[in-house]
Amino acid sequence: MNPTRTALLVSLGLLALPACQKGHGPVAEGVSGPMGSALPDATAEQLEVFFRGEALAQKRFSRADGLGPGFNVTFCGACHEKPTFGGSAGLYRSFSLAGRTTPDGAFLPAVSVGNASGVVRLYTYGETHGADHEPIDDANQIVGKRNPIPFFGVGLLAELDESEILRRADPDDRNGDGISGRPNYDRGFVGRFGVKAQTVSIEGFIRGPLNNHLGITTEPLTNAQKAALPVPSADLVASREGDWATFVGHMAQVAAPDGPLTDDDAVADPELSTDDLFDLVSWAMLLAAPEVEEPGEQELRGIAHFDRSRCGDCHTPRLEGPRGPLPVYSDLLLHDMGPELDDGHPFGEATSSEFRTQPLWGLTAVGPYLHDGRATTIEEAIAMHGGEAEASRDRWLQGTEQERADGIAFLVSLGGRDQQSGGLLRPGEPVADVGDWGGPVRELTSDEATRFENGRRLFDHEFGFEEGVGGPRFNGDSCRACHFEPVFGGAGPRGVNVIRHGILNGDGAFVPPSVGTILHRETALLTQINRPQTQATHFEARQTPHLFGLGLIESIPASVIEAGADPEDANGDGISGRVSRVDGGRLGRLGWKAQVPSIAEFVRDAVTAELGMTLPIQEGLTFGRVQDNDDVPDPEFARSDAEDLAFYLSTLAPPPRGPVGPDEQAGAAVFSAVGCDGCHTPSLDGADGPVPLYSDLLLHQMLPDGTPGIEDTSASMTEFRTAPLWGLRSTGPYMHSGIADTIERAIVHHAGEADAARDAFLALDPADRAALLAFLESL
Amino acid sequence: MSRRPLPLLLLPLVLAGCPSEATWEEAFDASTEGALSGVWGSGPDDVWIVGGWMDEAQIFHFDGADWGESEAPDVPLLAWVVGWGPDSALSVGVDGAAASWDGNAWTALDTGVDGDLWGVWGASPDDVWIVGGDAGDPDSEPILLHYDGSTFTDVGLDPEQNTRDASALFKVFGVGGRVWAVGQGGLLVEKQGDDWVAVGAGAEANQDFVSLWGPSADTVVAVGGRGNARLSTWDGATWSTIAPEGVGGLNAVFMEDASRAIVGGISGYVGAFDPATGELEPEAVLGTEDVHAIWGDGEGTHYAVGGRFSEPLSGLAAVRTE
Repeated sequence: MNPTRTALLVSLGLLALPACQKGHGPVAEGVSGPMGSALPDATAEQLEVFFRGEALAQKRFSRADGLGPGFNVTFCGACHEKPTFGGSAGLYRSFSLAGRTTPDGAFLPAVSVGNASGVVRLYTYGETHGADHEPIDDANQIVGKRNPIPFFGVGLLAELDESEILRRADPDDRNGDGISGRPNYDRGFVGRFGVKAQTVSIEGFIRGPLNNHLGITTEPLTNAQKAALPVPSADLVASREGDWATFVGHMAQVAAPDGPLTDDDAVADPELSTDDLFDLVSWAMLLAAPEVEEPGEQELRGIAHFDRSRCGDCHTPRLEGPRGPLPVYSDLLLHDMGPELDDGHPFGEATSSEFRTQPLWGLTAVGPYLHDGRATTIEEAIAMHGGEAEASRDRWLQGTEQERADGIAFLVSLGGRDQQSGGLLRPGEPVADVGDWGGPVRELTSDEATRFENGRRLFDHEFGFEEGVGGPRFNGDSCRACHFEPVFGGAGPRGVNVIRHGILNGDGAFVPPSVGTILHRETALLTQINRPQTQATHFEARQTPHLFGLGLIESIPASVIEAGADPEDANGDGISGRVSRVDGGRLGRLGWKAQVPSIAEFVRDAVTAELGMTLPIQEGLTFGRVQDNDDVPDPEFARSDAEDLAFYLSTLAPPPRGPVGPDEQAGAAVFSAVGCDGCHTPSLDGADGPVPLYSDLLLHQMLPDGTPGIEDTSASMTEFRTAPLWGLRSTGPYMHSGIADTIERAIVHHAGEADAARDAFLALDPADRAALLAFLESL
Repeated sequence: MSRRPLPLLLLPLVLAGCPSEATWEEAFDASTEGALSGVWGSGPDDVWIVGGWMDEAQIFHFDGADWGESEAPDVPLLAWVVGWGPDSALSVGVDGAAASWDGNAWTALDTGVDGDLWGVWGASPDDVWIVGGDAGDPDSEPILLHYDGSTFTDVGLDPEQNTRDASALFKVFGVGGRVWAVGQGGLLVEKQGDDWVAVGAGAEANQDFVSLWGPSADTVVAVGGRGNARLSTWDGATWSTIAPEGVGGLNAVFMEDASRAIVGGISGYVGAFDPATGELEPEAVLGTEDVHAIWGDGEGTHYAVGGRFSEPLSGLAAVRTE
């Protein structure tokens, strides 16, 4: 570094790292912070906007807000949560892109419940329990996957002058180093965001996914709003000075897509105001860059291995921004990554095998890795590099074991170490108090507490393909993937619904598809969509129920449940109630169709059916698969882990009751008066006393005769277990399909044996209705 | 016709360092006139600009000396205008809008459709093609109408020829006995006999084509690209498409002769394209709004119009001289 330059950096207050290797030099001050935090120099006014934007990123959108008609998730943070909001996400948030090539060679993205730029939308949001499944046209056989990427530091990348990116481009490899590097373009400007650098503006990078993944429509920010964004996006007239390149550079953030987006749901467009959009864009722009650690001895040796392997030829250690050097470890250029990573999808000017060099800052906390999350670990990601990176990969792998370990230690030091966990649990996060949401049901012994914490860790742990997720199909990569509302162990929003499907034959009888009734969200086969069996005629969503208090439910003797049964409606009250019988005559008590007999079986069932993993054979237990078709040796999930998970679930406290005042007390009386307690039995006697679950755990016909549905175990298409109501206040949406956003709508959707109770509810005067709802909201 | 004089702001818009000798200036202050979308004239002293708000059309006229506002019929925003002389012009717009000029007044026409109409071109007033569609609705079909001077006929596009699964055609243009239409996803169709037939324009034809123009049946240029520019050239035998680096999507093209196309696009971009060499030279940035149409009067003057179609709507009108 030339002395003048060094002096300048010192005068600017830039940090100096000791014994820096080539390029791994000082870092600008005031650009880094814990992941999810705002830039340290954000003003008070900017912080206000930041926190408003952060809240919006976590807002759960419902149909009333414009969610859909097609969607994948219900909130922004769903895909940007790891290790905290603004980050990446596990495999369960990966999504598919589909498209086809025309005879003259042009690539056309698929349509999926409207135009979503090729994004396959998994869900629709209908008026009935049956899901309006709209499969992708079979012509779209080119499928690629995307795993969400983090936003940390994107505002700093937006500030970069285009020349800082373009100066490293070598599209024709004139220097003959085997590495080309060329820019992508978006609306004429050098792209910098997205796995193919296909987007130049953060506004565009937010409006697109809002539309494609949530079905939330927006209009572009006004020029005045653009000018007020944290990243300079000054009006064009004022900046129209100097040469063309300078002008273009200034325009970059203004170059967001300028058209309004519309959809054809019942909510007027735009569904998100430009004021809210401004807050979201500002939040993203203000997210601090990950804090790169000062290297220790091992990390310095790791830098040497990184440099010897010439990783930095693409993973450029520093980019020079207006605030100083940024430790991005990316040139933000496109590189051909070889046929193995080719995803078939051109984006902007990027070919299907070209990808932006992924920034390495914060690497350790934002796995899985590569564009589709195929790599579970950093080591695996390096080994999967190909194309232009092949030589560097080989040099890295040819290093000694110690050199490779040093290299990994260096990469881990690039930010996020303190926030990294196997899932979303923050390191050292305490267990909730006894009886609280997510806490244990009782005081635990030391050994029990250890098991509880291990069970909680396993519940949260995001398993990767390397560990056996997907056999090949899967819904989630962890238990927490679906159970996190309002805390781990809870329910799930619509964006993690399971889809069940089936075949109704000519007589209207149910025939399960050969792959089973679950139409998995994802597949580990990265060039395929998990398409339904062609004969399938009925699709139905399953909302994720919460798991609080399962141990108490399990403690209820079978005889207590059986005592409430009245299969022939002998008492003539219009409510029958059947005991669910699982194989071997065991009583089923868990699941929407009471199809699972115990917590141990529930764990085995979920590990296999939802995660696609295998378990060892265990005497007395029949659920779960012991073999699958992937390359990971079976069993993939250890028995001891399954047992710790079961212990955790059996020890989770029931949902804490909300405040009960006069309204709630009055509502309890109404609850009984209208007949809700005919099925929603306030409590059943458990081993240690009454269990206030508000369910009889029996099967009831809940849909009108002849309504198509899914048969499961001993439950017919129209039968469901009486859903326990405890926890109702914080575990929406409601009903087996998640059709109801509110408790009131859930009551209205009751049918079958619940006709009379529903009608009685509808006939209530406003005061009684309000009291009943207040009571239910308190559960 | 009522006319209201508009201020002519001589704001030079040429960029420093721009290689062209052309000068772009504001034709009139259109910032509060809704979005402007189409421009055409029968000559230097008879130029029409159409646009407006989503529920109200605006029409402007240049008589060779002044720009003035012309009384528009009660139709929503007009998107495109074409004509056959000082007493004969036709404009189409959103929600199936259409209006004709007879030398005295603009009169609304009933097209019989309620979809958005984006382009109109005719060899004569009684042989007119109109295209449109709802590009935001992938389930809808492109609109293709024929107008014989008295009746609009919904011709439609054969789905077999809709090779891009387009929901909209954006412009139609003919010259030398040939007629083409362009649209969503890089769709390019040509009228062959009674049929409209898909024409391949290559792998780069993977983004919308928005407009096309040419001086002869041997040279036609189509422009588009929602993200980045696409330029496709017809050389009398084939269409070939390029994607110039660093240029955003293009919406507008006009050619006086085969040597040069004046093009315009997003974020006020205007440039000159040489179909023979494939070179595209930037000329200016006409402000923040997108350029939607360019037309030249044959005597060296070009007009560019554009605007923002989302709230708050605003327009731009510029004139190029060299």
